[in-house]
Amino acid sequence: MRLFARRNFLIGAILVGLVLAAALLAGWIAPFDPVKNNFRNRLGAPDDIYLLGTDRFGRDVLSRILHGAQVSLRIGLAVAVLSGVMGGIIGLVCGWWRGIDAWLMRVMDGLMAFPGLLLAIALAATLGPSESTVMIALTVAYTPRTARVMRGAVLVARAQDYVEAARSVGVRTARLLWRHVVPACTAPLVVQQTYVFAIAILAEAVLSFVGVGPPPPQPTLGAIIADGRDNMVEAPWIALSPGVVIAMLVLGLNLLGDGLRDALDPRMRRIMR
Amino acid sequence: MLRLIIVRLLAAVPVLFVVSLVSFGLTLLVPGDIASEMAGPTATAADVARVRAELGLNQPPLERMVQWYGGVLRGNLGRSILLNQSVGQAVLERLPVTLSLTLMGLGIACLIGIPAGLLAAAKARRWPDQVTMAGAMLGLSLPDFWLGLLLIYVFGVLLHWLPTGGFVAPGTDLLGWLRSIALPAASLALTQLGPIARMTRSAALEVASSDFIRTARAKGLAEPRVYARHVLAGSMVPILTVVGIGFGLSLGGALVVEQVFSLPGVGRLVIGAVLRRDWPVIQGGLLLTTCIFVLVNLVVDLLYLWVDPRLRENA
Repeated sequence: MRLFARRNFLIGAILVGLVLAAALLAGWIAPFDPVKNNFRNRLGAPDDIYLLGTDRFGRDVLSRILHGAQVSLRIGLAVAVLSGVMGGIIGLVCGWWRGIDAWLMRVMDGLMAFPGLLLAIALAATLGPSESTVMIALTVAYTPRTARVMRGAVLVARAQDYVEAARSVGVRTARLLWRHVVPACTAPLVVQQTYVFAIAILAEAVLSFVGVGPPPPQPTLGAIIADGRDNMVEAPWIALSPGVVIAMLVLGLNLLGDGLRDALDPRMRRIMR
Repeated sequence: MLRLIIVRLLAAVPVLFVVSLVSFGLTLLVPGDIASEMAGPTATAADVARVRAELGLNQPPLERMVQWYGGVLRGNLGRSILLNQSVGQAVLERLPVTLSLTLMGLGIACLIGIPAGLLAAAKARRWPDQVTMAGAMLGLSLPDFWLGLLLIYVFGVLLHWLPTGGFVAPGTDLLGWLRSIALPAASLALTQLGPIARMTRSAALEVASSDFIRTARAKGLAEPRVYARHVLAGSMVPILTVVGIGFGLSLGGALVVEQVFSLPGVGRLVIGAVLRRDWPVIQGGLLLTTCIFVLVNLVVDLLYLWVDPRLRENA
């Protein structure tokens, strides 16, 4: 594919692909049970059995990271899809029906006014800690941005001559939107959701880190970092290694997003930011 | 000009209304009984009833909302359940720590990010550009709280140069304050550098091809000066935009970074309140932080006019 000829896109695909493969295969390739304690081997340094050492319960850090990456990817993907659908619909409605626009976008502006992380932390805590709670909280926090991008794209599309032409020959609104407007807006939407995917993974790590993520003993990347924080002096590998995986994923997704953006439509830069 | 300020202020009203509605509405979303949860597992029925009365939870939601809004409009956000302090006081007391951390992080990010972006634009598609942009992309992708831990490990644990946490008030010991805030500010700055450098680069590239830059070059101005004066001035509006967005992100980041470095800021207050279900503090903290956020965006909007006189005419 032409996309892969671009260096950035290729690097991004490799980074995400590596983590994705490792996470999907976690059940088979993880050397140990991620939640099984082994108090005889607490805070063990990395060696050839425990490649990334063990934490203060003697659990294998590598196995925990592999399973944690699975949670991150699951939450990130769910948030990207959910906020894509919700934001897409809201943006479409706002961009097309200007009467609704004024009201609905004010609500979106209000939600967007919150520092996203803080709103997500408060929401996740309110609804009680669980994986689906985190998905909902992050979706609420990041849908407004997507809605804004979609609305921008719809405004551009509705001013195009072919849309105007279809409208003037009496194509019904539903068909007009579905056949002519939505296809013109999918490219920016997909690119935006790639960034949301990345942001959601970062945010999930923060939520787990401060203690409102999926409850223990479920390993998540943020929770592993929080666990290792108390043992930074004796066992720095616990807190430091999950961050590398987060960085790989987020960097990879950002590069994929940039690659998609440049490949799909170089002019998109203007709507995206 | 004055008219524009008023228009912008009025536009903030519906935003703040939604914000307050969400802040209040949070308590309605809590599954289960807030009062018994807050009174703790050992509480008797009388304790629970007392907490319920204290919070006004025995009234219908609409009544509570009216009362809450009445308080908010008079500047009363209620009392913290755990701190024996009014919410307003608790937040305001900790605000200087959070704001100084945010501003310092953002300041460092600008001081490095803007020159780096200009350099990348001046050397577009050559190695300084590629190195800067790769660095910017990496910085953008690192979790700031993790970066904080990494910095603690390198500069605190390995090198013993800087403290690993804790806060010194600038009033008691200025150098100590700088030392205590250096690492948290650096970890915030590193994540904000990327967007600023990228935006500076793309704005500068666009400006660099315009007529007035050609004129500046034609009259024999040295290239560094062309960039430092004319290109930078022409790129200020997009840079301001990204710095304004960066302020919000840094503020959010600061709340978490405080947690990592044990700094007594609003983040620790609110996150502590979240974990211990101190509802008035959660609501008030959310509302106040967001108000600051809205205010900053307003100031950025007005700064545009100051930076770019062309925009004033349409205003």
